[in-house]
Amino acid sequence: MAVSVRSGARVSSELSEGGDALTIRVCGNFDFNLHRDFQRAYQNLSPAPRHYRIDLSETLHLDSAALGMLLLLRDHCLGDEDDVGQRQVELFNASDHVENILLVSNFDKIFTLR
Amino acid sequence: MSPAPFRVLIIEADSGEAARLRGLLEQCARSGQGIYAIDARLVSDTRRALDNYPQLLPDLVIYGPAATPWVTREELQRIRAKAGLEPVPILFVKSERETLGSACLQTGCDDILIKPYNPNLVQLKLAALQRFCDFNRSLVAQRNRMRRHHADLLHEQASARQIFSNMGQESCLDQTRAIRYHLSPRAVLNGDVLAAAYAPGGKLMLLLGDFTGHGLAAAVGAVPLTSIFYSMVPKGFSLCHILRELNAKLHRVLPANMFCCAAMLELDPHKHCGRLFNGGMPSACLRHGSGSLRLLESRHLPLGVLAEGQFEEAVVQFPLDAGDHLYLWSDGIHEARNLEGEMFGEVRLLEAMAVPVEEGGRFEHILAAVNRFSAEQHDDLSLVEVALAEVPSGPVTGIEMGAEPTLEIGRLGEWSINFTLGPEELRDADPLPLLHSVLAQVPGAAKFQDPLTIVLGELFRNALEHGLLRLDSALKRTDRGFAEYYRQLDCGRRQLTGGWIRIALRCRDRGGKGLLEVIVEDSGPGLPEDIGSGDRGTAYSGRGLPLLRAICRKLQLQPGSSRVRAVLDWGQVARRSRRQRELAI
Repeated sequence: MAVSVRSGARVSSELSEGGDALTIRVCGNFDFNLHRDFQRAYQNLSPAPRHYRIDLSETLHLDSAALGMLLLLRDHCLGDEDDVGQRQVELFNASDHVENILLVSNFDKIFTLR
Repeated sequence: MSPAPFRVLIIEADSGEAARLRGLLEQCARSGQGIYAIDARLVSDTRRALDNYPQLLPDLVIYGPAATPWVTREELQRIRAKAGLEPVPILFVKSERETLGSACLQTGCDDILIKPYNPNLVQLKLAALQRFCDFNRSLVAQRNRMRRHHADLLHEQASARQIFSNMGQESCLDQTRAIRYHLSPRAVLNGDVLAAAYAPGGKLMLLLGDFTGHGLAAAVGAVPLTSIFYSMVPKGFSLCHILRELNAKLHRVLPANMFCCAAMLELDPHKHCGRLFNGGMPSACLRHGSGSLRLLESRHLPLGVLAEGQFEEAVVQFPLDAGDHLYLWSDGIHEARNLEGEMFGEVRLLEAMAVPVEEGGRFEHILAAVNRFSAEQHDDLSLVEVALAEVPSGPVTGIEMGAEPTLEIGRLGEWSINFTLGPEELRDADPLPLLHSVLAQVPGAAKFQDPLTIVLGELFRNALEHGLLRLDSALKRTDRGFAEYYRQLDCGRRQLTGGWIRIALRCRDRGGKGLLEVIVEDSGPGLPEDIGSGDRGTAYSGRGLPLLRAICRKLQLQPGSSRVRAVLDWGQVARRSRRQRELAI
């Protein structure tokens, strides 16, 4: 059995004043169990924010399902034809461990890592 | 929907008491408040209740006031055993005057009705018990549903494993001792895939992939992956071309959140060099015979993430020496945890890689180290070891080694083909698979695919790399230069704006012992003066020239001319390939 029952993992989000930037913070293990919460955090926002910032400071671990969720977010941002290129997804405050996972998958090539 | 009536079994020897109890229950049901229909049955004692249990199948058992004092603990246990998983509450009826002795508790009834009956209290109790039974029934129904689903799931997974193990039979993994691998039987359901096949010309291609997720969703991605792999590799497509195709296909078919981390190796036993693509897999480890380690880290996004046009397939090139081993693994090894929840990690893995171990025992040593560390037996460890310098070149197509040298070839026919490739084609196209597919149609040619692939490949690459791009083979003498050489090649090829390469093939039939003439020419200034002198600095440096000489009946090249002519014997392939093999080992 995979070690998946780790309580305390959660997603919170905050929209900047004016609704221009959305910050999503993921606490604990970023894995498949969070996929609903993670999607809910950015879907159905109108108008859609320009900047999406994922705060990974509280993220302990990140698995391939989480990488998949980030790709979905990227698709969501690039999905709108009208202002492609204006939008960006930024991942920040990752621990060494989490950053290493992102780098192994070369996600720095499609996301901004800070 | 009106629920099935609530079945109450009254066990009472005194018929008057039994009738009174039944009347009371039916009255409660008629009042309707919170209670649905009651179906009350009477039996006189526990033995009859047990005998007729399957017909009665009660939701609730009530011992009447006359029966209650005689009930034993064993009888109640027998009734509960009949009820099985369904908890059927058992009530006693006691008169108000009786003290609630501990004997009553010890028999293990669930609740007590007090006589004389207070209809409101009885109704309240019945309603509560009905809710309890409903709740329990739905739990049991859910459990049964989950059991069924789980059984279905196991069945589907078994079928999936069967399908994937059948697909894997195309692989050449078990044909050589130079490749060792560990994949759990559940690997495919963990998303891990291993495929290996020989390309024409004897190159080995091996791919270890890891799809996102678990279960069938992770497994289905392996179908297009392996089918493309096993169809393109034997046709002679280049590593880059196959990777481009795999990425494009996975990008098209997988949902956006799914992808495949993959490491793919191309090993050329003739030229003693390897190439590796790593997209999202843990660093592969190249262990030199001397014991030094070189990590080949992931330089790319996993397959299936980028759209067709954005995919880069630049690969790492490395020369091979005796004793070199390559290790590939999926993240299951890194993530194996011990009792404290700590991961095995790359550091421990590299330690296991570096320590001196008896010759040939490293593979087991690594697996044992992971299993010793981890708290539970992990079923998602994938590890591959390739003894790079010991991989034999691919089997000679269609001919067993040591087969009769006098072959029945049939008619070869007289024919010729001319190709001219301009800068557009040379920039990123790979002309060899096209040539192979044309030649595959020619009678008898399939049997000569290997020597022909080597000759065409060598001549074409020399024309491109030295004739057109003027690259210096001397660079390849050092590790760093080796990488630099391929960087220059990649760069030069992409910037190519002029020039051409011409390939001409002509077959002459001499009664089953034909000759095939291969002429490759390019627009460059021609071969240098010292060609063929054996000096490693020249265009046909190192292994290229002796390899060609071993395979061809005749090889003509002239300083100052870019035209190279090779003549292949069409009739004596078995002998030739044996020589070619000796050369490679």
